[in-house]
Formats: sequence, C-alpha cells, structure tokens
Amino acid sequence: MKFRPDREWPSLLALAVLYIFLALMVPRFFEAENLRDLALSNVSVLLVAMGMTLVIVVAQIDISVGSLFAVVSVACGISAKAGIPILPLAAVAVLAGAALGAANGGLVSYVKAPSIVATLATMVAWREALRWSTGGAWLEGLPSGFQWFGLGQLGGEIAIVGSTLTLFVALWWASRNVAALREVYATGSDSEAARLAGIAVTKVVFWVFVMTGALTGLAALVNAVRFSDVPANSGNNLELKAIAAVVVGGTPITGGRGSLPGTLIGVALLGSIGPALTFLGINPYWEKAIQGAIILVTVLLDAMSARPAKALASR
Amino acid sequence: MTKGKQEIILALLIAYEIALFSVTGQNFFSLGNFFECIRLGVEIGLLALALTPVIVTGGIDLSVGSIMGLCAVSFGWLWRDAGVPAGWAVLVTLAISLLGGALNGALIARLNVSPLIVTLGTYSLFRGLAESITRAARNYSGFPGGFLFLGQGYLGGIVPTQTIFLVVAAVGFWLLLHRSVIGRGLYAIGHGLEAARYAAIPVKRRIGLVYLLSGLASGFAAIVYVAHLGQAKSDAGTGYELIAITAVVLGGTSIFGGSGTIGGTLLGLVAIVVLQNGLRLSGWPAELAGILTGILLILTIAIERAGKRTRWALASVLALAVLIGGVGLQARHAGSAETVTIGVMPKAKGDPYFISCRAGAEEAAKQIHVNLIWDGPTGLDAAKQNEVIEGWITRRVDAISVAVENAAGISTVLRKARAQGIKVTTWDADAETNARDYFVNQATPSAIGYTLIDEAARLMHGSGEFAIITGALSAANQNIWISFMRQRVKEKYPGLKLVTVRPSDDDRDKAFQETQTLLKVYPKIKVIVGISAPAVPGAGEAVKQSGRQDVQVIGLSLPNLCKPYVHDGSIEAVVLWNTKDLGYLAVWAPAALVRGGLRPGDTTLSAGRLGVVKLQGDQIVLGAPVIFRKDNIDRFKF
Repeated sequence: MKFRPDREWPSLLALAVLYIFLALMVPRFFEAENLRDLALSNVSVLLVAMGMTLVIVVAQIDISVGSLFAVVSVACGISAKAGIPILPLAAVAVLAGAALGAANGGLVSYVKAPSIVATLATMVAWREALRWSTGGAWLEGLPSGFQWFGLGQLGGEIAIVGSTLTLFVALWWASRNVAALREVYATGSDSEAARLAGIAVTKVVFWVFVMTGALTGLAALVNAVRFSDVPANSGNNLELKAIAAVVVGGTPITGGRGSLPGTLIGVALLGSIGPALTFLGINPYWEKAIQGAIILVTVLLDAMSARPAKALASR
Repeated sequence: MTKGKQEIILALLIAYEIALFSVTGQNFFSLGNFFECIRLGVEIGLLALALTPVIVTGGIDLSVGSIMGLCAVSFGWLWRDAGVPAGWAVLVTLAISLLGGALNGALIARLNVSPLIVTLGTYSLFRGLAESITRAARNYSGFPGGFLFLGQGYLGGIVPTQTIFLVVAAVGFWLLLHRSVIGRGLYAIGHGLEAARYAAIPVKRRIGLVYLLSGLASGFAAIVYVAHLGQAKSDAGTGYELIAITAVVLGGTSIFGGSGTIGGTLLGLVAIVVLQNGLRLSGWPAELAGILTGILLILTIAIERAGKRTRWALASVLALAVLIGGVGLQARHAGSAETVTIGVMPKAKGDPYFISCRAGAEEAAKQIHVNLIWDGPTGLDAAKQNEVIEGWITRRVDAISVAVENAAGISTVLRKARAQGIKVTTWDADAETNARDYFVNQATPSAIGYTLIDEAARLMHGSGEFAIITGALSAANQNIWISFMRQRVKEKYPGLKLVTVRPSDDDRDKAFQETQTLLKVYPKIKVIVGISAPAVPGAGEAVKQSGRQDVQVIGLSLPNLCKPYVHDGSIEAVVLWNTKDLGYLAVWAPAALVRGGLRPGDTTLSAGRLGVVKLQGDQIVLGAPVIFRKDNIDRFKF
C-alpha cells in the first residue's frame, strides 16, 4: 500500500506545523501518557470518521451519527444492565448501529430523499425520541464486567486502540483493493456512469450508510466501556467533528475521491488542537475560533493548490 | 417536481394541524395566539427566507446561527461598553453581519470552495469570535425601551413589532427570487453552473450576493432576538441554522438547487411553529415536536416522490396515525384533569440535576392533586424559556414556577403573566423581584461558591493550586459561582491559586478529557472543582484512571452520579442541597399561592412532607447546602 499525500498535504502540513510548534514550546505534550490519552479519546471519532469518509466518497452526507451514537450508547447500557455478557453486547452495539444506518440508507437509496435531509430528519427524531424515553436519566450501576470489557484498564485500552487500528488498516487496504469498495468510489465519482458500468449504485449507497451505522455503533461501544456509567446525551456535535476531520483530511465533499489516511490525519489534527491549547495556556474561549480558522485555512490551502471546477455549486 | 405540489401537501398539513390543535389545545385558536406564533417565528423565519435563495443556487449556509451570536454580542458591546447610541449600534451590527456574509461569499465564490465546508468553518469561527469578544461570560442587558420595543412591543396593541421585519423580508426575497432577473439567474445557477455562465449570468457575483444577504438577514435576526429577549450573549441563535434549513426543505426547496419558492418556505416555517406551539398548548411532550418534524420531512418527500395511489395511501396513513396518536394522548391527558394547573420550568430538561428535581415536583403534584406541566429548554437557552412561558400564558395556567436562566430576559414575560392574574414563583435562580410573588431559594450563589472553596481549602491545607471544570463557558449560573469562588480565595485563602477554568459543555466525556489534560499541564494541582453535574463524575473517572492519589475532586453534582467515585476515593466530596425537596417546593409554593395557603406577610409555610418552612420576606428558604461524603452519601437517593 503506497501512501502518496497528493490531497492530504495541507492537513499533513498543518499537523506538522502544530506538532513542531508544540515540540518546541511544550515538549511535555509528547509524553507517552498524553499520547495514550489522546489516542483513547479520539478512537470513537476516528471510527465514525472512517464511515463518514465512505459516505462522503459516495457523494452523500450523514449528519445523524451523533444521535446514532447516543442511541447505541444507551442501548449498550441497557443491555449491560440486563446482564448480557460483553461479547454478545459488542454484537448488539454493531447491529443496532447497522440497523439505524440501514434506516438512513433506506431513506436515501429507496425513498430517494437527499441524504442531508434524510439524516437531518433522523438526527432530530432519534435524539428527541431518546430524550423522551430516557427522561435524560443516566444508566448507573452497570456490572463490573462492562468497564474496559472486564479486561482491566490496561487490557481494555490495548483492546480498544488495537482493534480500532486493525480495523482502520483493514478498511484502508480494502478501500484500495476490494471491488465492493472501489464501487463506492465509482458511484461517488459519477453515479450514472457507474450504473451504466453495471454497478448497483442504489445498493452501494445503502450499504455505505449501513457500514457507517455499524462503525458508529462500535464507536459508541468503545467509548462507553471507558466509563462506569452511560449518560443519556452523549455524542453531541459528533457529526461536525467527523465531517470536519474528513474534509480537513483532503476528501472533497463532491465525492469520488478521498482517502482514509487523510481522515486519520484530520482526526489527529482536530483532536490535538483542544489539548494543545490547554498545554499552551491559551484561554478556552479562543478554542472555537481557532478551530474554525484551522478548518478554513486547510481548506483554502487545498483550494488554492488544486481547483476542482465543479465544487462551487455541488456538495 | 411538479410546481406547487409540495405547497399543497404542506397547506393541507397545516390545516390539519390547526384543526387538531384547535380541539386539543387550550386557547390555541385565538387571535392572540396567532400573533404569538408569528412572534416566535420571526428569527427563524428571517434565516429561512435568506437561506431559500442560497439553497436555490445549490449552496448552503450553516453559519447563520453563529453570525447571530457574533452580531448579538457586537451590538451589546457597542451599546454598553463603547457607548454607541442604540440606533447607530444597530447599523454597525448590520454592517458586521454583512462582513460575515461577505467572508462566506468570497470564499465560496472567489475561491471555489464548497459552501458546506466554508460555512462549517465559519460556523465555528463566528461563534468562537463571539465567545472570545465576551470571554464567553459577559451578558449584556438593560437596553433602552425604544430598542426593546422592536422585539417586545405591539403595533396597534396587538401585532408584535417584529412582524414588520418578517413581512418586509418575505416581500423582499419574494421579489428577488420570483420577480427579478437576478432571481431567474439564481435558479439557472442552481440547475447548472456552467450553463448559467454561458448564458452570461455573472455567477460569482450572484453567489456572493446570496451569502451577503443571508449574512444580513442573520444580523436582523440577531437584533430582533436581542430586543425580544432583552439580553445579548455569545450563545444567541445556537442551533437556529438547522431549524431554518428544516423549514426551507420542508417548504419544498430542493437541497440540490434549482427549485424552491419563498411561499413554500413560509409554509414550512408555519408548519414547524404551529406544531411546536400546538403541542405545548395541548400539554403534550415537547419531544414530539422533534420526532414529528423528522417524520414530516421524510413523509413530505415520500409523498411528493410517490405515485398517485401510493401518495394517497401514505397521506391517509399519516392522517390516521396522527389522529390516533392525538386521541390517545388526549385521553391520557384528560385522565389527569385536576383543578389547578401549574407550569414548572427547569433551566434545562436534559440536566441530571433538574431531572432529579422533577421527581420531587411530581411527588408534590400527586400529593396535592395539581396538574403539573414540566417543560422547558433541553439545554440552557433563555429564548426557549420565554417561548414556553408565552405558551403557558396563552394556555391560562393557574401558576408558573421557573428556574430562571436569565433574569433580565424573562422578567418582562413573567410580569405579563402576573398582569393576567397568573401566580408566579421562581426556584433555583431568581428573576427580578417585581416579576414574581415568591422565590424558592435553595442556596445563594455566594453560599455555593464559598462552601466549595472552603472545602477545597480544607483539603489543600490552605495552600496550593486548583482548577475548575465548568459547564458551558457562557452559562450564567456557573459564571456567578466562579466569581464568588474567586472572591472567597482573594479574601480568605491567599495561599490558594486558581490555575484555570475549563469548559465541559455539560458533557461527561468532555469533562473527562479536559481533566486528563489538566492533570498533565498543571502537575501541581491538588484539587479539581467541578461545577456542572456531569463534570464531577467525568473528572472523578479521569483522576481514577490516572492513578493520581494526590489529586482530589470535589464539586456540585448529584450523589447518585458520584457514589462509586466517592466510595473508591477519587471524588472527595459533593456539595448540593436536596434536589427532591427543591422540586417539591417548586410545586408546593405556587399551589399554596393559588389555593390561599400562602399569603403576603406570612412568615412560615406549611409544606407537607417538609414540615414548616421558614420565609424570609418573599423568599422561601430550603436550607443550607449538604456536603456528601463517603459516610453519608448512601443515605441520599437522588
């Protein structure tokens, strides 16, 4: 697998500048403990962003992932309280996520609702339905086998980061070598041409949403097991984080192109900014403005290096 | 799409909503409520109208809510801190909104970057600027009456002033989109950029124009918002972009560009506003509004796309489902017909603190046979509080009991309620004193701040570094507590040093990450003080996972959320009053007022399970905060 950063270089550059700056100013940022904590708090964003990369490559968008994340988190908590052991519980999380993703995919592929509208609807509906049914109450007193999959803190951490990275590499490899995933690129690049070439484009789009749902479900699980309770309102703004990471990572919103390593860089960049500002002693009320500026700057770097002519009106 | 099809579906839907709510909602079908609905729709309406041409060109603008926030605080700063007269401040604010729109337009049109991405960036940027200008904490209020008239006054005694803005904007955008050459050009651009260019349409200038206009409309929306609420804070307009986009799309504008009408957008807006208002007046759960809006979005698209037969099937299924749901809810509602109806509002329904207050409120309501309506914003949102109270006034509840997010903003509405004979009490946090009858006071902000600092000082033996994890940076309550905490440190504990205040956005996972970072950046920290209910367990978990025995966590939270951490020693102490008792009093006091058990001049109140409660003037005092530790926390079940 070769990685040629032709579209990823603006984010890579921004990440390099940030890290060099941090290395000079606050070398403590790179202590093993901090890197471990950073990795752990960003695995769930990475998992969601992996799915989001495919969604954007297929020229769609999914803004419901934050609500899906919250629903699956609560489902995990309820299942754990009902005494379901951790391995079947992982299956519950992934399947629940996939089912919710299938609802999105069905609306987009078969009802033919534009994806931004369909997922706007499910985003609002799931979040409110969850709020209504839980009344906002947390799930407390989960069995001790829930936190860290019952493996203890170190074991759990290794399991979470290890499985996420394995999945990442597998998906990256598959996105370049497996026909089904090349069809995602073909569909996103030109859906009509892909259809004429014999690709079942509706199905491709449907399964991309299912996969994103499943990855979001997994993300909810690996996030939930890091704690001993499950709150009812998690995953707020997760869709914005994931979309921003994908886009900063060089995947054009117009579809047909984009890479998973780019997304990894995007997640690393956006995930590092918040803690980096704390390390640098910058006041937290600057954080949002700086994040916005970084998104704009990387996107501008990209726009000025290569100008896709059709970016103006489509998304 | 066949022209006008979506509009017909929507018009039928609205007619259906109105018919349903006229039956189920109290005072829904009245002229007064009609104008209240308009008032509530103006800010979102301005954004939705401006977004219609944007979406017609195939673009999108996610930054409109953030521009509102930036404009609101700019106006407040200009008027109060820079001493600019209100009229001029409005003009400068509108100029700032144009600049915001111009930045979007320039990036999208000149540099060919996709609008979704640009406005995603400026969404963060503008909100971030609003927060940094005000350090997220400043809250501007006390605006002159002439200015407030724009958002609170009535023309001819009945038509809300801000209606003018909506009407002018609607006519303006209608002329632009449907009666001008420029408008035709916008549709052409949405259909095909290249074709439009070859047809000699100045594409870049046109696209720049629609974003400029959407910036300007956001500026106007900010002015109306500030005048309506009487306050300007950096969180103005949070989340408005999604509601506005929903209205536009519901109104039949294609998200891919090339089609859509101003009339459709107005119908979409009406459908959403009537739904929210009608649900409230019918006493149905407010969450239904979100769920139903989602379903409507999908169904209107499905109906419009479906064949003739399927369409009728879908439409009748929809009508039947709503009818059955309505009848069912109504039946449940009718079952609880009590003589006295009291609306009780938390600051944020989703906050575990208020969820536990609710248990006490329901206990009291059951005990003394009161019809309790528990409703309010999901997260901290002063504008939403006003909206809910307006609804309660229309419903003619007997009493209102509010945990106030913003005193200046809510007092006007509360005075209006009192003028109509509704009893008003406040709880948890007070309004202006002449806007309510009694205040159920659980603990003063100074007592909270002092107790926390005293506890921190005790744990640190009078010297060392500590940090605070707050809720949202702009949360008014937390900022008052922080100021009292700073004051206490300055006056009594010179050895204590507050190294930083970090936001958790009331999210446990964020509090966890912030604490992890704090522990590394400030290795000498001895105590972390969490002052939002989810922040304390988040900080506790972070300290536990770091294995640091030398760091203590204390804070303001619920015993139930913190129990495991208090027992394993990662949280030292939790400070709070009995939230169940507070919720209990929040219902008991207004009920006593309505029924005559509480009269001006009384010095005590007999409050059921709580026994006799002392009154200090017009304050009902719950008692001092409790400190929960390892030895007593298991006795408290909330």
